[in-house]
Amino acid sequence: MNAPAGLDPASIPERIQSEVQRAIQRSIKGVEYISSSGPSLGSTPKDILSVRGTMNLYHYRPMSDEIYRVPILIVMATTNRGYILDLVPGQSFIEFLLKRGYDVYMLDWTAPKPEEKSLRMEDYVLDFIPDCVRRVQRDSGETDVTVVGYCFGGVLSLLYGSIFADGPMKNLICFTTPVDFREMKLFQNFSDKRYFDVDKLIDSVGNVPPEMILSSFEMLRPASRAASQVQLWENIWNDEYVKSYRMFDRWATDTLPLAGEYFRTITKELMWDNKLYNDVMSVGGRPADISKITVPILHAVAEHDHIVPYDAAKPLIQKIGSTDKEEVMLKGGHVSLVAGANAIKRLWPKLDSWLGEKSI
Amino acid sequence: MADKSNDPVAMWQNMIGEMEKGFNSFANQAMASPEFSKAVNQVGGATAGAQKQLGDLMEKYLVSMNLPSRAQMVSMAERLQSIEGQLNEIKALLHQVHSNSGTPEGRYQAAPKPPRTKRPPSAGGE
Repeated sequence: MNAPAGLDPASIPERIQSEVQRAIQRSIKGVEYISSSGPSLGSTPKDILSVRGTMNLYHYRPMSDEIYRVPILIVMATTNRGYILDLVPGQSFIEFLLKRGYDVYMLDWTAPKPEEKSLRMEDYVLDFIPDCVRRVQRDSGETDVTVVGYCFGGVLSLLYGSIFADGPMKNLICFTTPVDFREMKLFQNFSDKRYFDVDKLIDSVGNVPPEMILSSFEMLRPASRAASQVQLWENIWNDEYVKSYRMFDRWATDTLPLAGEYFRTITKELMWDNKLYNDVMSVGGRPADISKITVPILHAVAEHDHIVPYDAAKPLIQKIGSTDKEEVMLKGGHVSLVAGANAIKRLWPKLDSWLGEKSI
Repeated sequence: MADKSNDPVAMWQNMIGEMEKGFNSFANQAMASPEFSKAVNQVGGATAGAQKQLGDLMEKYLVSMNLPSRAQMVSMAERLQSIEGQLNEIKALLHQVHSNSGTPEGRYQAAPKPPRTKRPPSAGGE
C-alpha cells in the first residue's frame, strides 16, 4: 500500500511510534484527569472589602512598589464568576494589571438567594455599583475611578456611567458589551415575546436557574461541547492543553442564576424593546442615555464572538458621547478575548498603553 | 517535514473541526425559526414549572423525614455568610483605625500602601 501523496514514507514509523506513545499517555493521563481536581483559580491575593447579598467587592493586593493614582473597579458580568479574569499566575488579567502598577478592585457576584429574586436593575445600577465606587474611593483615598465592564458588566457600567455622567467615573473600558440587542439574533429568537412568557417563568421559578442560563449559552453552539470533549481526549497527553481545558470548562459551566426581577427587566426592556439602543432606557425612573457619557472609552470586541456578535456591540462607540473613544477588534471569541493567548499578547498590553496615561 | 494536508491525524482533527462548524451552522439556522422558539418555550416553560413544584415537594418530604431542608441549609449558610461579612467589616474597621492612629515602632503594622505616583513608561521616561 502506498503512503498518501505528500506524506514522507520514512516518517511513517516515527509517526506511528509517536501515536502509540500518545495512546498510552492518554490512558494514564485519562485516569489522572478523572481522579484529580483542576488548577486552583482566582488565587491572586485579595481582601474582601464588602459582601452584601449577591454583591462582593474585592481589593487585590498591589504587586508594584509604585501604583497609578486612579484605581480600577472591574464590574463582572452577572451571569459568570470573576475568576475568568484571574485564572492562574501568568494567565491572569488581574495579575497583569497589578504588575503594571494598577490598583485593582473587583465587583464580583455570587448566586442570588431565593429571597433576592426581587432584586431589580435599579439595585444593580443605582445601589451596588455606586456603593462599590464609594468604597473604592474611601479605600484608595482617590475621587476618580476607572470602570472596566465585562460583557453584561459592561452594560451595567454604561447604565451607571450615563446616569452618573458628572462623575466620579474617569475612564471606561468595556469588553464585548452589547448595545443593540436586536443583533443578538439567537437570544432574540429564544426570547421571542410571542412564545416566551417571561412573567410566567419568573413568577414560577423566582430566580432564573443557572442550568437555564448555561443551556441558552450552549445552544448557541450545540456541537461545541461534544467536539471539545473529543479534542480533550486527543490532547489529554498534553498537560498544558488539559490545564487550559479544565480552567475554561470549569468557568464556563460555573454559571450563576439571575435574580428574577432583574431578568424580567433585561428581557422586556433590552431584548424586546431594545431601549438602550433606542435611547429610551431608564433605571429607577432616571434616564440612561449613553450619549451622556463623555469620559474616555476603550471598547474591546472579538471577531468571532458568538455570544455578543459584533453587530450588537458595534453601536457603542457610535452612540457614546465621548470624544476620546476607541474600538479595538481582536481575533478570538467572547472568552478568549479577555483570557486567551491573544489577550495576553494583544489586549492586555493595548489596554495598559491606553489606560496608563489616563491613570495619573 | 510531512505535508499536514496529507497527515491522517491532522486530517481527522480538521474533519472534527469542520463537522463542528457545519453542525453549529446548521443548528443555528434551525434555531432561528419561530417554530423552534415556540417549541423550546413550550417545553422549557413546562419543565421550569415542574422543576419548581418537584423542589417544593422534596422540601416537604425532607421536613417530614426530620432531615434539614434546603431552606434550612440556605438559612444556615446565610447566617454564616452574615457572620463572615461582619467579621470582614470589623477587619476593615480595624485596619482603618490602625492606619489613622499610626502604630508605634515595633508593633504590628498593616502592609504600607505603595505611593500613587506611578507614571506611564512614556511619560516617566522608563
